[in-house]
Amino acid sequence: MSLPSALNRDRAPSLPSNLDALRSRIESIAQKSNARAVGVALHDTETGVELRYEADRWFHGASTIKVAILLAVYGEIDSGRLVPQSRLHVRNRFLSAYDGSPFRVLADRDADSEVHAAIGKTMRVNELALHMIATSSNLATNLLLDLIGLDAVQRTIDRFGLTGLDVKRGVEDERAFQHGIINRVTADGLVALLGLIAEERAYSPQLSREMLDILHQQEFKKGIPARLPREVRVAHKTGDISTVAHDAGVVYAPGRKPYVIAILTEWSPDAGHRSSTIASLSHAVYEHLRGAPEHG
Amino acid sequence: MAEARTDSLRIVDGYRLDKPRRDALVPGGVLRDREGRTRQLPRYFYEVESWDAAVEHELAPHFHMWEFIHTDVREAPPLRFFPRHVPCAVVLTAALLERFRDIVGEPVRIAANGGYRSPQHALTSHASTHCWASAVNIYRIGDEYLDARDRIEHYADIAREALPGAWIRPVGEDRGFADDHLHIDFGYLVAVPHDAPGDPYNPKLEGDPL
Repeated sequence: MSLPSALNRDRAPSLPSNLDALRSRIESIAQKSNARAVGVALHDTETGVELRYEADRWFHGASTIKVAILLAVYGEIDSGRLVPQSRLHVRNRFLSAYDGSPFRVLADRDADSEVHAAIGKTMRVNELALHMIATSSNLATNLLLDLIGLDAVQRTIDRFGLTGLDVKRGVEDERAFQHGIINRVTADGLVALLGLIAEERAYSPQLSREMLDILHQQEFKKGIPARLPREVRVAHKTGDISTVAHDAGVVYAPGRKPYVIAILTEWSPDAGHRSSTIASLSHAVYEHLRGAPEHG
Repeated sequence: MAEARTDSLRIVDGYRLDKPRRDALVPGGVLRDREGRTRQLPRYFYEVESWDAAVEHELAPHFHMWEFIHTDVREAPPLRFFPRHVPCAVVLTAALLERFRDIVGEPVRIAANGGYRSPQHALTSHASTHCWASAVNIYRIGDEYLDARDRIEHYADIAREALPGAWIRPVGEDRGFADDHLHIDFGYLVAVPHDAPGDPYNPKLEGDPL
């Protein structure tokens, strides 16, 4: 299996014995969870440790693809085509990636009501970016994607040599979904993407930090951060639909450099314990990296 | 620059604006409508010096200038900054909308990008009457969002009755239709206020409408 292309490969190699223990722990949690599939990728910027567990398996991306859209929006800012304060008309009308037919984001299926309340008015690009990430607003996501275009997202992915990210449409595009047009991600892809931002290699340190600031404002905290100590900060993005639950982010523990982690899970629609499984996997990785004994 | 003042807003001759603004506003230029006919753009504009001025400037009892110039990042870059320029027909459009507002008896909200848009606005296609400041997209009346056929058609009927000569975009999903707003348009309306600057009279051009 190849390493994520955008990861820094100059780091010291990881210790296999340590990784074996962590891999076993991940495998154990995954098996006990009854998840259909689990994918984990880890890149530790402190030690260079990289772990990959089903990390090149494709999953429905759910809302994790919003990080790729965030990167592309900041690409437009970097190029001068947008500024963070650019105003954008909030309009709930989008065209399907399948056949161009119009569709809307249903307010009662969106986690964020603030953007819906602004319909007819304008919001700033940086406000929409924050809503897209922090509260996972589907309306904000489609507005930004509609503004920059799918091509811009693909150009961004290509520019940074990212693989494992397949952004084909906006969210809530049911017609496209019914015809098999879905956004997909791998754990490797998300770690490479977030690694760019965490290591401040996305355009510029300033723009990378702005994206990190947005990711730090994530309001859904039942995944990666849930079982970590209070002093640990996580800049992350969740993704949750009936059949998948994901979380991917950058974990900042005191006294060390951050690590980047993506935990992707696939479930039967009626399955429970999704968030707690992600939280357990995250906790296992955290405990491993700090060298502490792991508790179930 | 030839200029005059009417009702606190300066009227400017678009021909005499700086080149970036001229290129974006295309004063006196022509656009092609969907049927291939030539439509001549306005030449005279009100100059709005600031957003505060746009908010304060009342065009009709219930309509202020800002509602007609509230565009987004899709507007041409030179026109995203003040001073902004809006065709003089905006006062007539506001007066006609006021009549509509009186009849519905509720606040009538114009959508962003739903008032004046320049010919270089990314959403402009063909000879959109938005480039004449003689069309509006209404997204909300009172507490009702106009995003359903029955609501749009209800207010479209009122507009047709209240505003003879107005054209209402039909409801539908396809191009040329509207399904999330009420588009009211008064045609290719050009206003040249009494105080507007102009060229010296040239008898050689008598009889030439353009």
